[in-house]
Amino acid sequence: MDFMNCAGVRRRSFLQLGLGGLLGGTVFQSLTSQLAASPTAANPAAVAKSCILIWLDGGPTHYETFDPKPLAPSEIRGEFAPIPTQTPGYHFSQHMTKLAAMSNKLAVIRSICHEQGNHGAGNHYMMTGAPPRIPVGCGAFVSFHPSMGSAVAHQRGHQNGLPAYFSLPSMTRSGGPNFLGAQYAPFAVPNDPNNTNFRVRDVALPEGVNEERFERRQSVRRRVDQLVRITDAAAADPVRALDEYYQQGQDLMLSSTAQAAFNIHAESDEVRQAYGRNSFGQRALLSRRLVEAGVPFVVLNEGGWDHHTNLFTSCSKRLPEVDNTVATLISDLEQRGLLDSTLVVMLGEFGRTPKINKDGGRDHWSNAMSVLMAGAKIPGGQIIGATDRQGYSAVERVLSPENFVSSIYRKLGLDPNMVLYTPQGRPSHLVSDPTPIDELFA
Amino acid sequence: MPVRPLAAVCSFVLVLFNTSVLPAADSPASRIVVQPAAISLKGQGAGAQVVLTVTENGRQIDLTREAELEWLGAGNVVQIDDHRMISAMGDGQGELRVRLRSLDQRIPVTVTGVTVPPPVDFDQEVQPVLTKFSCNAGTCHGKQRGQNGFQLSLLGFDSDFDFDALVKEGRGRRTSATVPVSSLLLQKPCGGVPHGGGVRITKDSPAYDLLERWIADGLPRRIDNTPVVLSVAVFPSEVVLGRESRHQLRVVATYSDGSERDVTQWASFQSSDAPIAEVDERGLITAGSILGDAAIMARFQGQITVASVLVPHPQPAEAAQYANLPIPTYIDGLVWKRLQKLGITPSAEAPEATVLRRLYLDIIGRGPTAEEARSYLDSTASDKRSQLIDSLLQHPEYAEHWASKWADLLRPNPYHVGIKATLNYDQWIRQAFRRNMPYDQFVRELVTAQGSTFRHGNATLYRNRRTPDELTTQISQLFLGVRLECAKCHQHPFEVYSQRDFYSFAAFFARVGRKGTGISAPISGSEEFIFVADKGSVSHPLTGETLTPKPLKGEPLEIAVGADPREALVDWMTAAENPYFSRVIANRVWADLMGRGLVEPVDDLRGTNPPSNPELLDALADDLKSHGYDLKHLIRSITNSQVYALSSVPSETNAADHRNFSRHYRQRLRAETLYDTLTQITGDADRFDAMPADSRAKELWTVRVDSLFLDAFSRQDPNQDPPCERNTEPTIVQALHLMNSKDLYQRVTAKDGRAADLAERELSPEQIVEEVYLAVYGRRPSADELSIAVTDFPTDPKDRRVLIEDLMWALINTAEFVFED
Repeated sequence: MDFMNCAGVRRRSFLQLGLGGLLGGTVFQSLTSQLAASPTAANPAAVAKSCILIWLDGGPTHYETFDPKPLAPSEIRGEFAPIPTQTPGYHFSQHMTKLAAMSNKLAVIRSICHEQGNHGAGNHYMMTGAPPRIPVGCGAFVSFHPSMGSAVAHQRGHQNGLPAYFSLPSMTRSGGPNFLGAQYAPFAVPNDPNNTNFRVRDVALPEGVNEERFERRQSVRRRVDQLVRITDAAAADPVRALDEYYQQGQDLMLSSTAQAAFNIHAESDEVRQAYGRNSFGQRALLSRRLVEAGVPFVVLNEGGWDHHTNLFTSCSKRLPEVDNTVATLISDLEQRGLLDSTLVVMLGEFGRTPKINKDGGRDHWSNAMSVLMAGAKIPGGQIIGATDRQGYSAVERVLSPENFVSSIYRKLGLDPNMVLYTPQGRPSHLVSDPTPIDELFA
Repeated sequence: MPVRPLAAVCSFVLVLFNTSVLPAADSPASRIVVQPAAISLKGQGAGAQVVLTVTENGRQIDLTREAELEWLGAGNVVQIDDHRMISAMGDGQGELRVRLRSLDQRIPVTVTGVTVPPPVDFDQEVQPVLTKFSCNAGTCHGKQRGQNGFQLSLLGFDSDFDFDALVKEGRGRRTSATVPVSSLLLQKPCGGVPHGGGVRITKDSPAYDLLERWIADGLPRRIDNTPVVLSVAVFPSEVVLGRESRHQLRVVATYSDGSERDVTQWASFQSSDAPIAEVDERGLITAGSILGDAAIMARFQGQITVASVLVPHPQPAEAAQYANLPIPTYIDGLVWKRLQKLGITPSAEAPEATVLRRLYLDIIGRGPTAEEARSYLDSTASDKRSQLIDSLLQHPEYAEHWASKWADLLRPNPYHVGIKATLNYDQWIRQAFRRNMPYDQFVRELVTAQGSTFRHGNATLYRNRRTPDELTTQISQLFLGVRLECAKCHQHPFEVYSQRDFYSFAAFFARVGRKGTGISAPISGSEEFIFVADKGSVSHPLTGETLTPKPLKGEPLEIAVGADPREALVDWMTAAENPYFSRVIANRVWADLMGRGLVEPVDDLRGTNPPSNPELLDALADDLKSHGYDLKHLIRSITNSQVYALSSVPSETNAADHRNFSRHYRQRLRAETLYDTLTQITGDADRFDAMPADSRAKELWTVRVDSLFLDAFSRQDPNQDPPCERNTEPTIVQALHLMNSKDLYQRVTAKDGRAADLAERELSPEQIVEEVYLAVYGRRPSADELSIAVTDFPTDPKDRRVLIEDLMWALINTAEFVFED
């Protein structure tokens, strides 16, 4: 067991940086990109370079997506009919037409369940693989453990001048870095890529500043920047860290890879149309561009799935959009040869109650939920686990959020059993139960 | 009873030719200290560590491994290894001859209990083995769900549980009294069968022997009348080492029957700062190549002790260099004394403009305005610094700045407690700082808060933290600097606290009553009343015993019927003799002003994490106590010191110093401080939601008020539990934000902002540049800087405005603005 404390970590890392400098290495080695995951003899499961995680915030209904229950009484089965998928014997709900038509590329897990029936806690459990340590309220945004995106950023480092973890348009409730530190927080892009004047915050010149003026400012800046840098590496001058980040920021602005990734306008109308000309569709397209540029973890945080009322009206509109966008994303990745190295996941906090309530909605239900996974060499055409005949609870191959999160880490080449240390020196396993879902690994 | 014949018994002279330099070659034998004076070993494998030390030029030189040790006596009684550990091999008596150059000394040795070994006690003998070899560590079987189905209590705090795990679970395969060697407890750690944790114990080791004897004895749960460990001590407890030199430690435990036993081989060791001094599993310290100090913890059976290691500069500065250092406050003398011990000299004094900027940033949370900077720099008063300090302490922004820091520590998540309760709490904190409420009273009013969360802001503390254990964690960490959280579930690994201590402390909060609307999802909007209930108790989670309120390391307190137990708690906390209370706040204030604490983290005061300058911490705490816990007084003492005014640029010897304050440590400005300073520079007012017009960032009552700027530069995150420290380091997001933020651009170029105003005024280019430098950096430009900036200065006001904006933007984008130098 190692022994660390808050300042110890900071001080030690300074000292290590300092020693690195003395030994002739670069001072900021930790910032430079590390090797992307690649399957090795030791870790054949690590096939995914990137993950696109589609978070349907609120808790999408399992009945109306991937786990229809046509034999249940009408107050449970709802208004939608099941449709056959390309996989014989498997059915999705009626709006998932495009995904049903490509079910040979998909794995649907119907049997993940947990005991966290409110949004704050459910999000925390599914995003981090750890249940919240104390009971939290429904509206809570809490973090007791690093999120998947932050852990991946921590392990992988940034690529091509791009941050390693994006969250579009905002961070999910528990999508933060917790004890790993703010540098592993997601880079949020609040702007809507469906807008004609879409641009990513702070990585391009603000309106009113042209390149000439920017260059002039930078040249003034270089001349007026007179603060003495402490060159002795043992002093660990934090100013040199800012210099490094400032340089990186400029690289990001000047990086054609990065700027190209952000330039969604370069996509043809046809492609943009195929993804759906709505915010969600265009964010999915942007996430594909980020993955192409080497970003290892992208979250699409899509709100509005807490259907306590009028579920069928809302789902009739939104499910076809989601179906279309996600199906387009998967086929697009495949056509570009990226699907084998990209993991696509779609889920929310939990499933929804079997009985339709008096307002025509379904309430929170964590005893069952459906999770969609594709890419990263996941054997397609499978449905993993099952709920009972009425969809009340997972009964076959009952899986936990820990199993789910461990599988994502394994695919991305992270050992879910890895031990991280909190600033208090407490050892913390990345996932307390590191058992992945075997069916996802060929 | 199997007594293992050891394969290679080397009971004669063991000479190790060490190639290291022997600086003590001519030390007279009389100055070499040999420990222990006598050795008494009981049982096969019992060991005693011999240590030889000499002190040269104030530094300890370990001669242990250079000494020749020889057994003088009959028979195969002891074994001596290359670390000079003496291990029992057979019953007998004799002497150990210790020779080193002219030294020739004898240590009497008695060995008993080998031929007829006493029975093995599970708690006192087996558990130390499981701890020593990390079987029950937090990364192995001690983690929450164990490892591969085998779970032990962390560090062996729950012997009943561990006994059951070993003896009753695992289908009897873990321990087999009939065929002891087939036990997994022996097979796994020595590699007889595959073990995820690898080979931990060899078959010929005392640990193996002990475990085997315990199994063969029939797995007794306990042996009656076995003495228990009361304390441990380490020798030497203070050691000054040269770079890359080594020193052996000895650990001795004192038992309830008054006996002492050398437990060096069973103790666990840990360094607080391995690059300065590492320690191995045998207690051998190795100093690193950098100067500094470290605490080496030795732990045995839940008892903890610390050896402090100091690694000074190899070429200490002359004493004369310290004699002439100024000592304007009591702080300075104590810092210089410490630096002299380390052999390093302080940096030079910082330029007065640098100190000026520090004072504004640190005391009122913004940089000086151009006018403020000019008037200070132009003043010729000899006491202008202390005058400025006094006036800043009276400034209205003082209270908002310091309240904002405290809000970081106390502020709840409004999603949890509701908006109104959050706002009231914030206002209560601010009011306390506006009134300069003495700190002990501040804590008293928080800890004993009662009433409605809609009228008494401090009551929100009890709305936010709702159970005795949550309150214990928060209050002990915030106000006592004791992180009890570990002890909630298990014995604290770096402290003496047990679960019993945790829940006895929690018992102070057993009778906190709540009525009204509790926490209700999704919005906890309503009013709640906190009161002292008649009933309520806390019981031990394992034993179920009802616990009496008991302060840390104290005796249980009798709480009178009808009295509030929290009053008794806060009486104990704020009593003059409380060792934690005044130190933790003194350390916090020091860290706020000096960039880091004498103890880091600032709220983690424990023996295994000692302050870098204990005398100074005591002096600061006494200063605060003797001045009625007036925080302004302490701030005044610190900011008037010479140490506060040191330059950040290293002297010849102190670049590696990160905790002794021989130089000023640069820090990035806090998000709110940066923001409020920008407001002042650009002349563009703030626009925050949920705040009155022209509010400052440091006045925000919740971090839920949107601000991309504050997010980028990190603010408290109430979603983290406990609310985590801010990230104080620069990030790429910050760099990008400074470069390209639309908001910052608009503020610099605002049409009624400072740049526009300067462009319109009848000022020379030199005057304009000076004004911008004073506003952004709080100093005048140097001649070079002036000439750079005034080049090509246009005359057309419109062009001028663009140029001023660009200069302002450029200065804001430099490290000199973003950091406190």
